[in-house]
Amino acid sequence: MNAITATRTPAQAGEMTYLAAISDALREEMRRDPTVFCLGEDIGAFGGAFKVTDGFVQEFGAERCIDAPLAEGAIIGTAIGAAVAGLKPVCEMQFADFISCGFDQLVNVAAKLHYRQGIAVPIVVRLPSGGGFSGGPFHSQNPEAWFLQAPGLKVVAPATASDAKGLLISAIRDPNPVCYLEHKGLYRHVKGDVPSGEHLVPIGEARIAREGEELTVIAYGSSVRLALLAAEELDEQIEVVDLRTLCPLDREAVLASVRKTGKALVAHEATRSCGVGAELAALIADEAFEDLDAPVRRLTAPDVPIPFSPPLEHAVLPQLEDMKEAIRELLAY
Amino acid sequence: MSSSPTEGAAASSPAASGATGSLEVVMPQMGVSVAEGTIVEWRKRPGDWVAADEPVCDVTTDKVDVEIPAPASGRLERILVEPGATVAVGTALAVIDAGARPGEAHPDEHNGQPAPDQGGGSPATEPSTADGRTDRSGFYSPVVRRIAAKHGINLARVKGTGIGGRVRKKDVLAHLAQGGGPAVSQEPMLHIESPYRPEHATAPAGSGSPGPGAPPSETATGLAGAVRREPMSSMRQAIARHMVESRRTAAHCTTIVEADFSRVAAARGELRKPMARRGVNLTYLAFVACATVEALSGHPRLNASVEGDELVYHEEVNLGIAVALEDGLIVPVIRRAQRLSLEGMAAAIGELARRARERRLEPDDVHGGTFTITNPGQFGAVLATPIINQPQVAILDLEAIVKRPAVVEGPAGDAIAIRPMTYLCMSWDHRALDGADAARFLGAVKDRLERWEVRQ
Repeated sequence: MNAITATRTPAQAGEMTYLAAISDALREEMRRDPTVFCLGEDIGAFGGAFKVTDGFVQEFGAERCIDAPLAEGAIIGTAIGAAVAGLKPVCEMQFADFISCGFDQLVNVAAKLHYRQGIAVPIVVRLPSGGGFSGGPFHSQNPEAWFLQAPGLKVVAPATASDAKGLLISAIRDPNPVCYLEHKGLYRHVKGDVPSGEHLVPIGEARIAREGEELTVIAYGSSVRLALLAAEELDEQIEVVDLRTLCPLDREAVLASVRKTGKALVAHEATRSCGVGAELAALIADEAFEDLDAPVRRLTAPDVPIPFSPPLEHAVLPQLEDMKEAIRELLAY
Repeated sequence: MSSSPTEGAAASSPAASGATGSLEVVMPQMGVSVAEGTIVEWRKRPGDWVAADEPVCDVTTDKVDVEIPAPASGRLERILVEPGATVAVGTALAVIDAGARPGEAHPDEHNGQPAPDQGGGSPATEPSTADGRTDRSGFYSPVVRRIAAKHGINLARVKGTGIGGRVRKKDVLAHLAQGGGPAVSQEPMLHIESPYRPEHATAPAGSGSPGPGAPPSETATGLAGAVRREPMSSMRQAIARHMVESRRTAAHCTTIVEADFSRVAAARGELRKPMARRGVNLTYLAFVACATVEALSGHPRLNASVEGDELVYHEEVNLGIAVALEDGLIVPVIRRAQRLSLEGMAAAIGELARRARERRLEPDDVHGGTFTITNPGQFGAVLATPIINQPQVAILDLEAIVKRPAVVEGPAGDAIAIRPMTYLCMSWDHRALDGADAARFLGAVKDRLERWEVRQ
């Protein structure tokens, strides 16, 4: 480490934003492990569309923070090759929506190499996802469910700054391809204490974000914040389970909480059908039926693209009032 | 449930306090043959919300149980007839306040004070609550059922605070926390579905016998070892009453003939498949029923009943068929059985047995029999001496049909053959007929069965 980069490093401990925590994790790992490198669109000289890699070229050089052409298939394909050759690439999709262009490389190559040929593909694909800023249908999606149907991929979706850092470091060190969903709405709105230095959050382990006895909200990403705010305002016995990892799912944590409360609301910003909520509702019905006191409910976006128009987008995305209403209804059931 | 009880109950009249929209639930006319009914159980207690057509109580008519539906939605105000009491058709059983509004506080919450008058609100016609939600007070979620089963809680006694009056997990937990365990109630229980039901201290009204809950003698218990006690079901009690009554009334004799079922078996083998294709299960019982009905036409003394000093001969054969149920026995009647072919008889037996097992018989289905056949033979017994179904004069018992060595006469003299044989056992009333009548009749039945020809 040299003196110049040290001055650019955020405070050693204490509060930082979700965005800074992602930067911090990347920086920690690139400093620790020379095989870790980043590639993506405009991440080098420009520092990334959201400035996650701001200053990385200066610290690590252009060869470890590569400006890639606008070709997601090439970015992920290159990363797979590098990973097979022994490196640990972290790809940035400028927007999660664009990953569809790299779909084949991710789903058919990265996810399956281990099963077909026993070859590990330790890549991370960072996915800035989510809406709420009038980004329209191509810059606001939450595509996690696509990848939950591709065995071989792990999928994580941190909700807090601390988890943003801990899960990214775990993802980089994981020998499997990991989709890392970072909600853009959390970048600067979520702050929290983040341990300095090496901080790992195990993949596959949910977190009880709030304890309660009467109802469980199961959420991840931006919906955790909504759930916590709603629970705070309603002042009821609400438990909030922050999944943190969508694959592999922490089934035991989910079931333990639902068995305790008897009521489950699954909340996510992604569309409704065949999503994480549907999977969890099935899991709960299957394994916790005798503990249920009410139907499993979902709070999600409807099955429509995210509108550009601000009032329409507001209507489509689950809002705090929607969360409170869903909780109130289920509590009363 | 049949439509007749519904119509009967719906013909409720406004009670004396009709101004508030009170309706009486009355003992309905359950078919032409029934004059009275006995309350078995109240499913609702005073203060409970009831929806129109929702069963409020169970009534037994000695033979079948029927549910009495609510004539309208409202609040069950008063119960007028307690379980165990037998009352005539048309008697008011309970009063429903049809002017009550869903969602109103349960009277229990007012320490027994009647609910405040709502000023003549229009009677609700839908089972819905004040907030427009459907009444869900009878719905219990899986976890609520599990907790209730574990702790022996009668959920009808738990106050529901969920949407539509649903009992939520927190309600049942609160009930438990308040010591609302299984057996702490002070008032008499009106629901009997719980195995934890405390025994009634008093005998049911109208019954001279000690109640099922008479305390066991300590000595007797000590000698007999551990015991389990359960009250007789109303069906069991009715069977007990009828059987003892018949034994006391009739001069029972039993006559037995042996019958060779070779030709019946052959006919059954031939007809069974074509009938099965038409949805009819052809049993040996159907053959015996047909042979019996035919023989009865030539032996009217058997198709009769005793009324005081008179013998009543019936022109029609209304054939009772005993059907075993899980916890008892019921004898639905095939009316004018003499008009039925073998296939018609088999279909009628199948239909009655099915309805009996589904508990869907109507009171008229079990009345007016003139002769009864019972057939417990599927369990392998070969002989029995049945008790006559009063006021009839005979009952025919068909037991197992088993292969036996039999002496048969052929052109070359006697030989031993393997034949499907059975005993036809008939108990008859010596008041009404004599041994010769019984033997002649049984001989006629046997003859028809042994010479059976395919006539269909």
